[in-house]
Amino acid sequence: MSNWKLINKTFLYDGTFDGLLTIVFDCYCKKTFPQKIYAESNYTNNFLDDIFIIKTDYDKSERIFNGIEKNICAKALYNSYYAFLSDDNEKEINILKYICTGFDQGPKINNMLTISYVYKVINMRKQTLSECHKFKGLLRFQEIQNNLYYASIHPDHNIIEPLGHHFIKRLPMQNFIIHDKTRNLCFLYNKNEYKIIDDINIEIPDISENEQKYQELWKMFFKTIAIKERTNPRCQMQFMPKKYWKDLIEEP
Amino acid sequence: MEICDKLKILADSAKYDASCSSSGSNRKNINNGIGNGDVSGICHSWGADGRCISLLKILLSNACIYDCKYCINRCTNSVKRATFTPREIADLTINFYKRNYIEGLFLSSAVIKSPDYTMEMLIQSVSILRNEYNFNGYIHCKTIPGCSKELINQLGNLVDRLSINIELPSNDSLKLLAPQKQKTGILEPMSYVSNHIKQNKIDTNRFKNDFVPAGQTTQLIVGATPESDLKILKLSEGLYNKLSLKRVYYSAYVSVNNDKNLPTLEAPPLLRENRLYQSDWLLRFYGFKADELLDETHPNFNHILDPKCDWALRNIDKFPIEINTADYFTLLRIPGIGVISAKKIIKARREFLLDFEALKKLGVVLKRAKYFITCKGKYFNKVYKFNQNFIETNLIYQERSYLPMPEFKQLSLFEQLNPTKEDKIKCLTGSL
Repeated sequence: MSNWKLINKTFLYDGTFDGLLTIVFDCYCKKTFPQKIYAESNYTNNFLDDIFIIKTDYDKSERIFNGIEKNICAKALYNSYYAFLSDDNEKEINILKYICTGFDQGPKINNMLTISYVYKVINMRKQTLSECHKFKGLLRFQEIQNNLYYASIHPDHNIIEPLGHHFIKRLPMQNFIIHDKTRNLCFLYNKNEYKIIDDINIEIPDISENEQKYQELWKMFFKTIAIKERTNPRCQMQFMPKKYWKDLIEEP
Repeated sequence: MEICDKLKILADSAKYDASCSSSGSNRKNINNGIGNGDVSGICHSWGADGRCISLLKILLSNACIYDCKYCINRCTNSVKRATFTPREIADLTINFYKRNYIEGLFLSSAVIKSPDYTMEMLIQSVSILRNEYNFNGYIHCKTIPGCSKELINQLGNLVDRLSINIELPSNDSLKLLAPQKQKTGILEPMSYVSNHIKQNKIDTNRFKNDFVPAGQTTQLIVGATPESDLKILKLSEGLYNKLSLKRVYYSAYVSVNNDKNLPTLEAPPLLRENRLYQSDWLLRFYGFKADELLDETHPNFNHILDPKCDWALRNIDKFPIEINTADYFTLLRIPGIGVISAKKIIKARREFLLDFEALKKLGVVLKRAKYFITCKGKYFNKVYKFNQNFIETNLIYQERSYLPMPEFKQLSLFEQLNPTKEDKIKCLTGSL
């Protein structure tokens, strides 16, 4: 990676993981890497940038996808994918460098934590997964129709897919919708298959009496279970910052 | 009685149980049932006291026949009594679980009629959940001291975790405050469960249910009786080594009753509880022994420094430790370096030699650790050499924000000061 050439260009791609892997393929072939990489939707035009649009090529992306698993290790693929779901705005260039160095170095790339882009990729993976884990607990379903459950969330990272799979495993006989309101993405599941769609308007009907009853019970349980003598709002806030509160049923 | 009132009474009585973990069991979702276990555990919310809520923590009943002095539900107290039916518990759990409020159920109970009768009710509730509703989520159940072994067997095959509370750390205290409970009544079922788990691991059969897959735990009350920290820690060490318990929980004593045998505390001893948890972690994950942390000459923990710093300062001859050559268990002995940091260091130093900058990049917190390590033979501070006084002053200075402030007073110009004779003599000699 040390003898690679930096070219003064800004790459734009379609914002999918396949698109990013296509860039990796092109860069690895030419032994060059660009100044910046942006998803087209995130990019605001800048007249100093020399723009180059990369078209997603599924053959190339699949070769890289399999190549990572074969020539680096499965862990590297895992790191790159979850880093890709992160909200970081420099994620693409770091993932590109990480994968390309990985092809030179093999599986020991994951031990080279003192190289800044390796550390950043691993850190992004960690942040995404830890937010995903947090939402496994903090997501709240409401029953909006018979056996149809709806939950809205406002996550920082794009965690809707791993989160959805967690709930498919957990509640396979339940229809549910998880709505990511920061990105306006929806994860739909109907007891045998799932789908992720974007740009959707959902109107929540008034909740039924039965649903109301369980929400009240939960609120009361939440209040009762705290020990008064040990009240510690700072500790509570540390684990459950205010940004999560708007989608909760209980009122901390 | 409405379900709402029952929940209020029985959650209120259950809140003094410290345990709320949902980890350790990876029960699968079978036959399209409801729920599965998650090995790392999932917290679903945090209460106003900062404790996590991951399980629906309730009592089956609080109509107790025992008279334990420290307990809010003792039979001589006049509190509202309520009892759930097994069906109500199962419905509540399923409906909370479907809305992702909880990770499972933590069911405990006061002793109603007799230990065996209470156990049967617990088993009934859990078996409705498991067999009728096909619920595969996490269930933690209390064993009632003094019940028969067959009932423990039945319950153990249904739940993920069992626990029996020791409550008081010595037999004398037990006699004083919980006269109807016996030490043997608690320890016997405990060792029975632990043997059964070991046996079950040896002859695992694919077609057989796991017996208590997440292991068993217990709880001790801290501060209700005069035991020293050393005695409590020794007890925990014994429980971990001999009965292979998963966790010992410590619960700071909250005064709920008045009794001549109970101490009157203004606030629960939270700092002491915290120190016990810190040293509990040192026992389980860091390879420390109770004797190293405390001994007869100091049987209680330091208020200012955490147990590991305290130990390090008493064994200053073992430091400084070279980060690039020390083995895993030596790294773990450095204050400020935990399991995650130690593993990261071991991984990273295979590729490069580490210095202080590299450690920062790895995300190792150097606030305390920097005083006890060298990197490539160098100490972090070039002016001060490695020296016990220097380290101790700095560590205590770092903790200052957590310590109570000394009282200061604004001096007044017009206040009459009355110098003593000694002061006057000091003025004459010029020392004041």
